[in-house]
Amino acid sequence: MNELKIVGKSINKIDAKDKVDGSAIYPQDIYLENMAFGVTIRSTRPHAFIKVDTKEAGKIDGVLKVFTYKDVPGKNHHGVVLKDHEVFASKKVRRIGDPIAFIVAETKEIAEYAKNFIKVEYEDIPAVFDPEEAMKEDSPKVHDRDNVFYHFKIRRGDVEKAFKECHVIVENVYKVPMVDHAFLQPEAGVAFLDEDGRVVVIASTQYPHFDQEEIAESLGVNKEMVRVLTPAVGGAFGGREDITVQIHLAIAALTLKRPVKTVYSREESFLAHSKRHAMKMYYKTGALKDGTLLALEAKIIGDSGAYASWAMNVLRKSAVHATGPYYIPNVKVDSFAVYTNNPFTGAMRGFGATQVPIAYEQQMDILAEKLGLTPIEIRLKNCFREGSETATGQVLEGFVPLERCIEELKSF
Amino acid sequence: MEAIKPKNLEEVLEYKSKYKGDAKIIAGGTDLIIKIRKGEENPKALIDISSLNELKGIRETLEYIEIGPATTFTEICECILLNKNLKGLKDAARSVGSPQIRNRGTVGGNICNASPAADTVPPLLALDSILVIEGKGKKREIYLKDFFKDKGRGELEGDEILTKIKFKNPLKNQGLGFYKLGLRKALAISRLSFAVFLEIDEMNRIEIVRIASGAIGKFPMRELEVEEYLTGRIINENTIEEAETLLERVIFERLKGRQTAKFKSIAAKGVFKKALLNALYLCKGVNDFEKN
Amino acid sequence: MILKKIEVNINGRDYCLDVEENLRLIDLLRDKLKLTGTKEGCGEGECGACTVIMGGKIVNSCLVLAFQADKSRIITIEGIEEDDVIKNSFIEEGAVQCGFCTPGMVLAAKSLLDKNLNPTEEEIREAISGNLCRCTGYNKIVSAVKKAAKLKRGGDGE
Ligand SMILES: Cc1cc2nc3c(=O)[nH]c(=O)nc-3n(C[C@H](O)[C@H](O)[C@H](O)COP(=O)(O)OP(=O)(O)OC[C@H]3O[C@@H](n4cnc5c(N)ncnc54)[C@H](O)[C@@H]3O)c2cc1C
Ligand code: FES
Ligand code: FES
Repeated sequence: MNELKIVGKSINKIDAKDKVDGSAIYPQDIYLENMAFGVTIRSTRPHAFIKVDTKEAGKIDGVLKVFTYKDVPGKNHHGVVLKDHEVFASKKVRRIGDPIAFIVAETKEIAEYAKNFIKVEYEDIPAVFDPEEAMKEDSPKVHDRDNVFYHFKIRRGDVEKAFKECHVIVENVYKVPMVDHAFLQPEAGVAFLDEDGRVVVIASTQYPHFDQEEIAESLGVNKEMVRVLTPAVGGAFGGREDITVQIHLAIAALTLKRPVKTVYSREESFLAHSKRHAMKMYYKTGALKDGTLLALEAKIIGDSGAYASWAMNVLRKSAVHATGPYYIPNVKVDSFAVYTNNPFTGAMRGFGATQVPIAYEQQMDILAEKLGLTPIEIRLKNCFREGSETATGQVLEGFVPLERCIEELKSF
Repeated sequence: MEAIKPKNLEEVLEYKSKYKGDAKIIAGGTDLIIKIRKGEENPKALIDISSLNELKGIRETLEYIEIGPATTFTEICECILLNKNLKGLKDAARSVGSPQIRNRGTVGGNICNASPAADTVPPLLALDSILVIEGKGKKREIYLKDFFKDKGRGELEGDEILTKIKFKNPLKNQGLGFYKLGLRKALAISRLSFAVFLEIDEMNRIEIVRIASGAIGKFPMRELEVEEYLTGRIINENTIEEAETLLERVIFERLKGRQTAKFKSIAAKGVFKKALLNALYLCKGVNDFEKN
Repeated sequence: MILKKIEVNINGRDYCLDVEENLRLIDLLRDKLKLTGTKEGCGEGECGACTVIMGGKIVNSCLVLAFQADKSRIITIEGIEEDDVIKNSFIEEGAVQCGFCTPGMVLAAKSLLDKNLNPTEEEIREAISGNLCRCTGYNKIVSAVKKAAKLKRGGDGE
């Protein structure tokens, strides 16, 4: 057989050279002729009705236009699964950081200055920050619907019966906080019209094709009229899956017919993009005297914040991974995604599979301790092997090298 | 805003007397630029002293070590004049921010910014430093311990600037220890810090002790009650433990009602002890204490 | 806006420029001179993406006002020569992912190796401690700096 050219070799990253030279172009590095600059006005309240007055700001010398929901030509919404984000908040804001207006001016300095003249009147309404509170019937509603917008169930065997047969049962509640991706390149973008009159949006994004659809829908034009270009992306980790700068820039460029740029500060970046879901995990795990796992009952509550983003996929994954890589014959898992007035949460490295190990692995350690086993023994006893069946009924075929991996740990 | 780059100290004082409080000195700018950008400071003029050699550098006189306020943390770390009994000052300078911050940030800025977490202030307090303050045609000295008025505010008139920091060159049986608790290794503002200056005799009796804490009150300060307790005592496990207990009580009292009271008063014991042992080590030249 | 005249040498070239008095060095480099290899990750001295070498020392260009840089010599990533060993080691060791931290990292590494061709791992980590990287987990950056040091000493880098 011919020797492989690539597989098994260490290959230099194709764009590494440009990056070490400093010549790789990120959106903030783009400067175009006649380019205007935009800054975003964001809500400072978590839950309030708003009235916005942009007149004063609009009159400032050098301000080209202040965009609000009234200036969205198409649909004033976006969202990767549910269209529950507004491009600009129309009647109410649902979290600190909701975009309300976009000031476009000749220079960044003028746009920043004009910020001081935008008047936003807030009429605060009761807010909810604890997802368990939000699940209650009489809690404030973040959207015009029940705050619980997703419930995923896994049922396997008979947990109630199985718990009766267990030698030990360990019951605990685990909480993990929100986490920010903190990718190093804050959001930025440029939009302009090309020779054919199409809107071109250059932004660091994980989903140019998705963005194209969302931008087109908000502009009220065909997808073909929107081009999304992705230059160098300064880290993402899931945090660039939702819309941030794209639609604002597209609307501004289309309306003003000139290039418009925006660059978020680090602080605004924190406000603008999603977070990893905070979760509260109720775990009850039972085992036989020899350490064999018999039953798991788990309730996992994910704080989706003000918007859904990928919550369904994330909470489904949390549930699917709730047993960890361990065979358990009787399983009952309920996972929920809940709206609150917190920052919205979405994709971040692991997509829901990252939170649950905090719970299931600690359960394993506590069970081991109660049974007088070592952490390694209890894991070897229960870990997935070739042919194991997961709680959702998937039979693991092919290569499942977990046992070897745990064996390796013995020497530490 | 007017940007001024004077050629010498005289010009600085001239501008300061003209603009008074409307002009701000800018040294490394690592505090001030952030404040200006956040709108917390809005000076009419900035007077840059970052490249004024007159205000930089470390000198030794017969009795004193003198440090120019525009001396950077990096310059302190690299200075051979600061002998090893002053290790605590270097440790504090080395613990600031990051290499980039240490290359710009100055000891004068650290003092004048008057943050409770300013890392070089506790060691300078423990050294009983004196500040030389000048205005056009005037000059005065003030002990660093009397300098702070409130969080973020030192005792400086609008037309005055800090021109020198000085302290007595330590003797052989004296030592300055420092220890800082940050959330991580680099770029971590102090959660808590201690500096201890110690002189002991051959019998391990404490002749002089000066203790300064950082990030606890409104500004770094001396811990006089603990100093008083320790002075004249033989240093051993017992006295240290007593001192720690006293310190815990003092700090809990000071922070009473604040969320951090319990954590900080307990953590302070450990941080203080490390600073004290560091100082002791320098006095004795060996680390034989812990073994006794 | 009042303008101030400054003279700076950037990457070996002398400039005489009129700058706004509140302009930061990073804005001068990026917006005025289009030296966009210097990145802004935080604007507060926390991330080091804006690192440049000024007067032989690394500084955060977001925390220097342009007028303060008058009469100084500055090196940005664009001033590092084409076939530089540090840059090549970064490429070969897989120390570059998204690349946003890379210019600052390379300059921090250069500043270390200019003084010390035989740094310990701890010294390398200390030297890059003002530069955040969210992608690599730092290990590959550390090995890149080690390799560069070795190559500069005349070894083969392995
Ligand atoms: C990322 C980061 C990390 C940091 N980490 C630390 C840390 O770990 N520990 C720590 O202690 N600090 C830390 N700091 C804060 C800062 O670097 C220090 O306080 C530093 O000493 C400030 O010095 P400067 O020369 O930069 O001051 P500037 O910003 O130039 O000045 C600060 C203030 O002092 C005044 N001033 C300066 N010099 C004089 C003078 N000679 N006479 C009168 N007034 C004067 C200025 O007018 C201004 O009000 C950090 C800052 C940043 C941005
Ligand atoms: S942008 Fe200057 S340190 Fe982050
Ligand atoms: S490579 Fe992305 S931050 Fe370092």
